[in-house]
Amino acid sequence: MLTLLLLWSPTIIIKSKREEFELENFKNTQKQCFESLFYYFALYFSFFFFSLMLLSRTKNNAQRYFGTNNVIYSKKDEQSAPTPEISKETESQESVKENTKKDLLGIIKSMKIELSTVNVQTTRPSSRRQLKSVEATIGRLQKAPEGVPKKRTKSLNPELVAAASAVADFLPFDKQTTKSELLRQLQQHEEVSKAQKDGERAKISVSTIISDMKVAKSATSRVSTRPVHQIQFDEGTDNYMGQKTDDLKKSLRKNMLKGKRLNIFDLKAVTEEAPETETAPSLWEVEFAKQLAAVNEQPLQNGFAEMIQWTKDGKLWEFPINNEAGFDDDGSEFHEHVFLDKHLKDFPKQGPIRHFMELVTCGLSKNPYLSVKQKIEHIEWFRNYFNEKQDILKESGIQFN
Amino acid sequence: MAAIATRRWLRFRCKLCLTLAGQRAGPCGQTPSCRFYSGSATVPKVEGANITGIEEVAIPKKKTWDKVAVLQALASTVNRDITAAPYAFQDDPYLIPTSSVESRSFLLAKKSGENAAKFIINSHPKYFQKDIAEPHIPCLMPEYFEPQIEDISEAALRERIKLKKVKASVDMFDQLLQAGTTVSLETSNSLLDLLCYYGDKEPSSDYHFQKSEKSEELEEAAEENDEKSKKADHQFGVTWRAKNNAERIFALMPEKNSHSYCTMIRGMVKHRAPVQALNLYTELLNNRLRADVYTFNALIEATALSVNENMEDKWNNILELLKQMAAQKVKPNLQTFNTILKCLRRFHAFGRLPALQTFREMKAIGIEPSLATYHYIIQLFYHHENPSKGSSLIIYDIMNELTGQKFSPKDPDDDMFFQSAMRACSFLRDLELAYQVHGLLNTGDNWKFIGPDHRRNFYYSRFFSLLCLMEQIDVTLKWYKDLIPSVFFPHSQTLIDLLQALDVANRLEMIPQIWKDSKEYGHISRNDLKEEVLMLMARDQHPPELQVAFADCAADIKSTYESQDARQIAPEWPANCLNYIAVLFLRAGRTQEAWKMLGLFKKHNKIPGNELLNEFMDSAKASSSPAQAIEIVKLASAFSLPVCEGLTQRVMADFAISQEQKEALGNLTSLTSDSDSDSDSNEGK
Repeated sequence: MLTLLLLWSPTIIIKSKREEFELENFKNTQKQCFESLFYYFALYFSFFFFSLMLLSRTKNNAQRYFGTNNVIYSKKDEQSAPTPEISKETESQESVKENTKKDLLGIIKSMKIELSTVNVQTTRPSSRRQLKSVEATIGRLQKAPEGVPKKRTKSLNPELVAAASAVADFLPFDKQTTKSELLRQLQQHEEVSKAQKDGERAKISVSTIISDMKVAKSATSRVSTRPVHQIQFDEGTDNYMGQKTDDLKKSLRKNMLKGKRLNIFDLKAVTEEAPETETAPSLWEVEFAKQLAAVNEQPLQNGFAEMIQWTKDGKLWEFPINNEAGFDDDGSEFHEHVFLDKHLKDFPKQGPIRHFMELVTCGLSKNPYLSVKQKIEHIEWFRNYFNEKQDILKESGIQFN
Repeated sequence: MAAIATRRWLRFRCKLCLTLAGQRAGPCGQTPSCRFYSGSATVPKVEGANITGIEEVAIPKKKTWDKVAVLQALASTVNRDITAAPYAFQDDPYLIPTSSVESRSFLLAKKSGENAAKFIINSHPKYFQKDIAEPHIPCLMPEYFEPQIEDISEAALRERIKLKKVKASVDMFDQLLQAGTTVSLETSNSLLDLLCYYGDKEPSSDYHFQKSEKSEELEEAAEENDEKSKKADHQFGVTWRAKNNAERIFALMPEKNSHSYCTMIRGMVKHRAPVQALNLYTELLNNRLRADVYTFNALIEATALSVNENMEDKWNNILELLKQMAAQKVKPNLQTFNTILKCLRRFHAFGRLPALQTFREMKAIGIEPSLATYHYIIQLFYHHENPSKGSSLIIYDIMNELTGQKFSPKDPDDDMFFQSAMRACSFLRDLELAYQVHGLLNTGDNWKFIGPDHRRNFYYSRFFSLLCLMEQIDVTLKWYKDLIPSVFFPHSQTLIDLLQALDVANRLEMIPQIWKDSKEYGHISRNDLKEEVLMLMARDQHPPELQVAFADCAADIKSTYESQDARQIAPEWPANCLNYIAVLFLRAGRTQEAWKMLGLFKKHNKIPGNELLNEFMDSAKASSSPAQAIEIVKLASAFSLPVCEGLTQRVMADFAISQEQKEALGNLTSLTSDSDSDSDSNEGK
C-alpha cells in the first residue's frame, strides 16, 4: 500500500490540482457540475489514502508532506474559504477565475484525457529520486507565490496557463516541471511588464497596491512622463520659398535682376556639396539660432495657441492625436507591437507548440507595457526553450523546426 | 500612369482593410473585402485613361502628425475678434489696456513678473525643491546655474564654460595653467568662443526680454540716424579692450587652429574692433589657415566699419574679401550677402549700384534672399530720398517677386521688412502697392514677421494713414473697424488723418463717435486732436439733430479740460477751443452753457472771436433779450474789440431797448473808440 501511495500521490496531486482550477472555472461558469462531483470524488480518494497512511504510521517524510498537503487542500476546499497559507493551487484557482474561454479549455481537457493514460504509464517506472525533484519543484512553487502579492498570478493570462499545462502534458517525463517552467517564464514576463508599468510612476509614494488598481490613472501619468516626441512636421509646411511659377517671376524681373553682377562667385563652386564635418555647434551658432527663433515670435493669438505653447513647454499633457498618444517605444510603430506572428516563422506550423506560441504572441500583442524589443526577446526565449527540449520533443513525436 | 496609380491605390486599400480586419478575421476573410475595394477602384481607372492631364495622387502610407496637430487645427478655427483687444491683453477687465502706452506697460509688467519669479527660483533653488506637479514638469523647477564640480580640472572648466560663467572660466583656466595642466585645444576654443561672444564681460542675465527691449530701442534710434546708432551701440555693447582675457588666452594657447582665429576675429568685429580683426586675419593667412564663411561675414562688416576710408575704398576692400573667399573655396551664405547689403546702406546713393550687383550675384549663385535682404535694399533706395527728386521704382520689382511667397526666419533682421516696405508705400503714396504689401503680410504665417509691438504700430499707422488719404471713406471706415482696436491702438495723428478724411468725404456726423474712440485710446490730453475735432464740428451749420450731438461731444471735450484742472496744473485753454465750444452750445440751443463759456474767456484771459460774438447776438435776438445783447457788447468792449461798434449798432437797430440801456451802450462805444489803438496792437499780437 505504501508503494501504491507513493506511486499515486504525485498523480493525484497533479490531477487534483488541475481539476481544482478547472473546477473553479466551471464553478464560476456554473456549467459543468459533474466535473465538480468528479473532483470531490478525487479528493475523497486522496483523503482516504491519507487516512490509510496515517494508520500505517510510516516515518516517510515525503509521504507525510504530500499527505498533509492533501489534507490542507481538501479541508480548504471543503470549507471553500481562503486560508492564510495559500498555496499554488488556490492561486491558480484564482488565476483561472476570469477565464471564460470554454472552447479553449475543452481542447485542453480533451488533450489531458488522452494523455493522462500515457502519463500514468510513463510515471510508473519513475524512481523516488524523480519524485523528490517533483516535490522540490512543487515546494518551490508553493513557497514562491506566498511571498509576493497574489495579484501577480492573478493577472497571468488564464489562457496561457491552460495552454502551458497543455504543452506540459505533451512532455512525458517531468510534466509538472515543464508546466511550471513555462508558467514561471510567463510570470516573469508579467512581473517585468508590471515593473515597467510601475516604474513609470516611481516617484509616487502612494501605496503601489492602491495605485495598481487605478488603471486609468496610472495610464495617464505614464503617458505624460514619457519623453517629449520629436516634432514631426507636416510635409506641407516646409515648402516655403517653393518653386513658384518661375516663368511668371522671370518675366517680371526686369529691373532688378537684369544687369551686371559681381561675377566673383561661380555657381558650380557654390552649389557643389562640400563634405560637412559634424561638429558640436559653437556658442555663436547657438546664439544665432536663438536670435532667429525670436524673429517671428508674436504674442499668442488665441487660447489654443497658448495651449500649444504650454504643450511645447511641457506644462500641458499632450493632446492625443491618434491611438498611440503618449506611446513612445523608440519610434516603433503600432503594427510592430501588435502583429507578432512574423516572429513565429521558426516555430512549427501546427500542433500544440504552435498553439501555445500563438497564444503567447496574442498576449504580447495586447501588452502595452513591454517594448517591441522585449516582446521579441520573450518569443526568443521560448524558441531557445523548445530547442533545449529538442530530445524530449522528439521522443514524444513532436516536430520542432 | 493611371494604371500605376490605380494599382497603388489598390494596394493601399488592401492594406487598409488588412489593418482593419487583421485582428478579427483570418486570411480567408480578407479576400472578399479586397475584391470589393478593387471593384470600386476600377472606376477611376477608366476615367484616368481618358483624361491625361490628371495629376497622380500620391496617397501617403502613413501620415505623421505633430503632437500639437489637433491644437493647431483648433487654433486655426479661431479668428481675430475685431471688437476686442488682442488675446495677449485679455485679463481682468480693469487691466485690459486701451492705449498703446498701456499695452506696452501691460506686457512689460507681465513679463517682468515672470522674470522676477524665475530669478527668485533660480537664485534660491533650495527652497523650491518640492515637485508639486505630477507628472514632473521640468520647466517649473529651478535651473542650476552654479557649477557643481569643485576641483580644478578641465571638466570643471568645461562646466563653467557651459554655464557661461565668464570670470569663473578664466580663473579656472589660469589655475589649470599654473598647475601645469595643458588645456585641450577644443576646450580652449570653446573658452575663446565664450569670451569673444560676450566680449570678456559676464553675460547680462539670460532674461531675453529685457535685452531685446534694449536693443529694440537702439534699432529705433538706428532708423532715425545711422551715426547715432553707432554711438548708441558703443554705449550699449561691450567694446573690445586691448589685452583683454580673450587676447591673453589666445596668446597663451600653445597651438591654435583656424577656429581659434575665427572666433577671435568674430569677437573683435562684434565688439567694434575692426582694425584688430583685419590684422588678425592677415596673421591667420600667414599661418596658412583658412577662415570660415562666418569669419568672412564678420570681416566684411569690419571693412565697412573701418573709419578712415572713403566709400569706394571700402567697397573695393569688400570685393577683395569676396574674391579671397572664392579663391579659398569658401561658400558664401545668405548672411554674407545680407552683411554686404547692410553695410552698403551706409554708403547711401553710392551703395545703390553695388547693392543691385550684389543682389544679382546672390540670385545667380542660387542663394534665396530673405526678407532682410529686401529690407536693406528698400532702405538703401528710399531712406534718404526726397520726393522732389523722382524716386526709384525698385519696390515694385520686389513686391512682384515676393507676392504669394511664404517665409521662414533666416536672418535676424527679417522682421524689419514689412515696416520698411510700408514706409516706402506711404512715401510713394501708392495705395495699390500698400494693399500688395498687406496681402503679402497676410499670406500664410508671414504676419509673424511684422516684428515687435512698436513696429506693428508703425506699419499699421502708415497703412491706415495711406488709406485715409487715398481710399474711399466707406472702405476706410471698414478698415478702421477691422484694425482698431484688435490689431493696434491708433496714434493721435492717425485719428487726425481719419478726421480729415471724414471732412473730405463730408461725413462729419461720424465725429462724435471718433472722439469717443480716441478718448478710449488714451488721447484725452492731445490738444491737436481735440482742436481738430472741435474745429470740424464748429466750422459749418448743420441740421439740428446733428448740432445736438455735436454739442454733447463739445461738452465732453470741455469736461476733459476741466477734470484735468483738479489733477494737475490747469492746461491752457486754447482760445480756438473756447470759441468752438461756445459756438456749438449756441447752435444746439444750450444758451446757458454758452454764456458760461463766455465767462471762461474772461477767466482765462482769452479773446472771443468776432464770429462767436455775432452768433451770440443772433441768439440774443432769437430769444429777444436786449439784456443779453448789451452784455455781449459789454464783453466786447471789455476786451476792447473793434467789433464792438458794429455790435452796438446791431443792438440799436434790432432790439427794443430802454433809455438807460442806450446810455450804457453809448458809454461802451466811446470807451472802445478811445482804446482803438490799444486793441489794434492787441490784435497784432
